[in-house]
Amino acid sequence: MSTVPRKGIKATKPLVPEPATIIDVIVETPSIRSFRLVFDDPGIMKEFSFAPGQIGLMGIPGVGESTFAISSPPSRRDYIQFSVMKTGFVTSAIHELKAGDAVALRAPLGCGFPVDNWKGKNILIAGGGIGMAPLRSLLLYILDHRHQFGDISVFYGARTPADLCFVGDRAHWEEREDIAFIATIDSGQPGWDGRTGVLPRVMEAGRPPAENTVAVICGPPVMIGYALAALARLGFAEGQIFTTLERKMKCGIGLCGRCNVGSKYVCTDGPVFSLADLGNEI
Amino acid sequence: MRFIPEENITALLLRLSENATVWAPQVVRDTVNTVLFAPWREGAEIETGLYSALPVKGLVLPATERLFSFRYHRAGEREKIEIEVDELRERAAVFAARACDAKALVTLDALFLDGSGRSYNDQHYRARRGALTVITLACTSCDSACFCSSFEDGAAATAGSDLIFYPVSGGFLAEAVSATGRELAALDLFQESNLEKPPLAETAKVELARLGQRLLDKFDDIDFWRRTAEGCLSCGYCSYACPACHCFNIFDEMESDRAGGRYRCWDACMFYAYTLESSGHNPRPEAAHRYRNRLAHKFSYFPLNRGEFLCTGCGRCIRGCPAGRDVRDVIKALGAG
Repeated sequence: MSTVPRKGIKATKPLVPEPATIIDVIVETPSIRSFRLVFDDPGIMKEFSFAPGQIGLMGIPGVGESTFAISSPPSRRDYIQFSVMKTGFVTSAIHELKAGDAVALRAPLGCGFPVDNWKGKNILIAGGGIGMAPLRSLLLYILDHRHQFGDISVFYGARTPADLCFVGDRAHWEEREDIAFIATIDSGQPGWDGRTGVLPRVMEAGRPPAENTVAVICGPPVMIGYALAALARLGFAEGQIFTTLERKMKCGIGLCGRCNVGSKYVCTDGPVFSLADLGNEI
Repeated sequence: MRFIPEENITALLLRLSENATVWAPQVVRDTVNTVLFAPWREGAEIETGLYSALPVKGLVLPATERLFSFRYHRAGEREKIEIEVDELRERAAVFAARACDAKALVTLDALFLDGSGRSYNDQHYRARRGALTVITLACTSCDSACFCSSFEDGAAATAGSDLIFYPVSGGFLAEAVSATGRELAALDLFQESNLEKPPLAETAKVELARLGQRLLDKFDDIDFWRRTAEGCLSCGYCSYACPACHCFNIFDEMESDRAGGRYRCWDACMFYAYTLESSGHNPRPEAAHRYRNRLAHKFSYFPLNRGEFLCTGCGRCIRGCPAGRDVRDVIKALGAG
């Protein structure tokens, strides 16, 4: 894990965001919207690069800023996407934003998925709810570099069909023959002819082989707990399991103190961790 | 060594005042013997017998500071944001800082100034720190809360100071630590002296050997931490008063319909809301979790990450705790090194 990615952030003004503009808003679910934005300074936009899994602090000056995973892939050069669940003060204000509105952004921050170390490996992706946001960036990156990886299986779970994000992507992922994509909802609903059952159980039933496989999971704490237990039963070692953590953050640069998990800061050492990195501190 | 007679101190402070605000420990009016570093003006009495309730860190990391101001304006169809970062130009000098406070500035420097890439080079911190002169008054006595002798150098620490004053008969011996200190000590207010440095204070000591590991060994014993944090009010004084604590919050304030500022202010890891997430989840919901994290940060995580303790033994968190908590008792309870 590198602790010094920090591209894109001015070293001497790390807490000062760059003005940006929303160019598109996608209503994903009743509580989740994706916001596509561009930096107002075309030079910054041109230079902007990141790894899937990296985060940004997007905000509205006067309201505040919050941390979000970038949900677009690095190959997308014309916008940066964040998928935001309406939860608190800042995210409620963000949900009011429309195309053309001004925001301010500090990104990219943190360390992304170590995709270079995963070349030649099978990748198992399991995302629950809004936890799919960073995994979308990862999956699209993998699809952009499909030949570098082995088998790709993707499990995406949500409570109800209406809670599943990324409608357009899902249709595409389901059609592709070079990945196995399964969406599941927690319990049966009229009009839903897909899989039913909580994500860890559906994933375990698929019996993904642990050998030469990296498992990447992200979702609510309950799902993570069950998914970890399922992966252990499937024979995955701690070093094979990666997750991306969320904590309350203010600075995003390892100084303000609140996002630590043991001696590590989620904002700079993470948000991507292998289970081996975290030990019992999770 | 250089020597400055007591009667020249006012002249020295006036000299410093020519291009800087001079901060010196003073009893704050309307309080009961509360000493704070406050701007000094000629005639103001400097109080060095009592310890200041707050350290000098506020001169480099103010309790509240504006990071930038912003303004919304219309550009054609669109709303745009303009951001402007304040340039800081004020110089400051602190007189009669203590070695424990000055040493903590070096700890903060490593976090906020390090250009090596391990930390950010914080623009505001850099401006304030570069414009700060630190004159330290060495401690020849201490109180029962002091425990700096537990750490390397103890009361003899010179790190972070530009000039150190040692109280001797009739004035102070002056030891220059930095170029700024040497310039000051060369002023005609000082003279040469053969006097010996006075013996410095020997404070109470706590055993710090293997403390980080001892703490982690007890980490999962939540009942231990519940007993330890019992009575803690989660008031945050210990963080505010700590010369090395540097946690902060960031918040926005509108100053008109279309303009405002983003501010950084001190925060405290003992506050419930410090880690409270908007979902309602709180990774450190009890005072016991927060107290454990606070101590682990100071004595385990920080040494692991940065090679030093996040504590200089100044004793403020003991002296000023409204619930009478004493960090040294916890260190002792963690067992022998």
